[in-house]
Amino acid sequence: MSDRDDKLIAEANKLSTEISPERDLWPGIEQAIKVPQRSRWTPRLAQAAAVVLLVGASSMVTWMATKDQARVIEVVPVDLVFEQASFGGRYALGVGYQEAHRDLQAQLDTELERLSPEARKEVEENLAMIRGAIGQINKALTEEPDNALLQELLVQTYREELAMMKRVGGLTQHVMSREDI
Amino acid sequence: MEALLTAQTSDYSPEMAVLSQPGKTDEAGWIAKAQQADAGAFEKLYRMHIDKVYGLCLRMTGNVAEAEDCAQEAFIQAWNKLDKFRGESAFATWLHRIAVNSVLGRMRKSKREQDRIQLAGEAHESPVVQADTGELRDLSNAVDRLPEGARHVFVLYAVYGYSHDEASEMLGIAPGTSKAQLHRARRLLAQQIEQEQERL
Repeated sequence: MSDRDDKLIAEANKLSTEISPERDLWPGIEQAIKVPQRSRWTPRLAQAAAVVLLVGASSMVTWMATKDQARVIEVVPVDLVFEQASFGGRYALGVGYQEAHRDLQAQLDTELERLSPEARKEVEENLAMIRGAIGQINKALTEEPDNALLQELLVQTYREELAMMKRVGGLTQHVMSREDI
Repeated sequence: MEALLTAQTSDYSPEMAVLSQPGKTDEAGWIAKAQQADAGAFEKLYRMHIDKVYGLCLRMTGNVAEAEDCAQEAFIQAWNKLDKFRGESAFATWLHRIAVNSVLGRMRKSKREQDRIQLAGEAHESPVVQADTGELRDLSNAVDRLPEGARHVFVLYAVYGYSHDEASEMLGIAPGTSKAQLHRARRLLAQQIEQEQERL
């Protein structure tokens, strides 16, 4: 490094490193951080989210286990649509969901009988896990009824439950159709 | 501490001035509170560090509006990431890293950098220069006209005193690139300063 370079760096080192903004930036920051981003991930919510993830993974395992029985594999659509609803202690589920759930539960009870004991156990455990997650999220919603993330998580979990019930129905029908042949 | 801050002028002593300065202990306390989502404590941290963060943003962007946006974004990101701050580096350094990321992120998205260079070429006095006094203004002006890569390295290395390893890590480049950019910055600055002297 030449003397001139040394001098340049020494001069640069004297430049102001602290400059005050012309206006107070705090109000904008305060407004942004007051959106309850950090508080959204309460321990309960994190626990519920973890359960949902586990349920998702577990559902896949169940599907893998039961697909062998079906032999013919067909993707069962999970595009169940039910009425827009809010949840928690303050709200009730939509009628569409209630009806879909009731019908599928009746169908499920019958069709579970057609599965092998191992597959049935797997499905029942997964459904219990999903319903446990629903219970936990609902409990969290009673504390934070307007938490959009919790509501979204709950909708997703209800969908997961219905999808699993429908999937089991679809698979057992395949088992039946193959055995009929 | 509160009592000292509100003490009558006649009771003033130099020791009180030292005591009333926000120290490391205060900072650690505010960080701990802010990590528990205490926005009031975070405001204290903001007041303590805004000039350093804004200064860095302004020197890196050379644009008041961009610097304000970057500084705000840096503090918002800091708030969201506070639970990840473990005190392994100084809080100011941690904030600087976030601010540099914020500047780089915005510059990647924005075409304003090109506008900024054009404006700098029109020899207007930038807001960065106004922060400096006397002869330093010429250097500040010259730094502000450097191309982005060279300017970022020069600002971090020569103005803020970061090592090449630290600067390159912050900028996401190799240490060798940081050295090359510094060399380029020095060469361009020397040329600019010579031209300026010849013009005078």
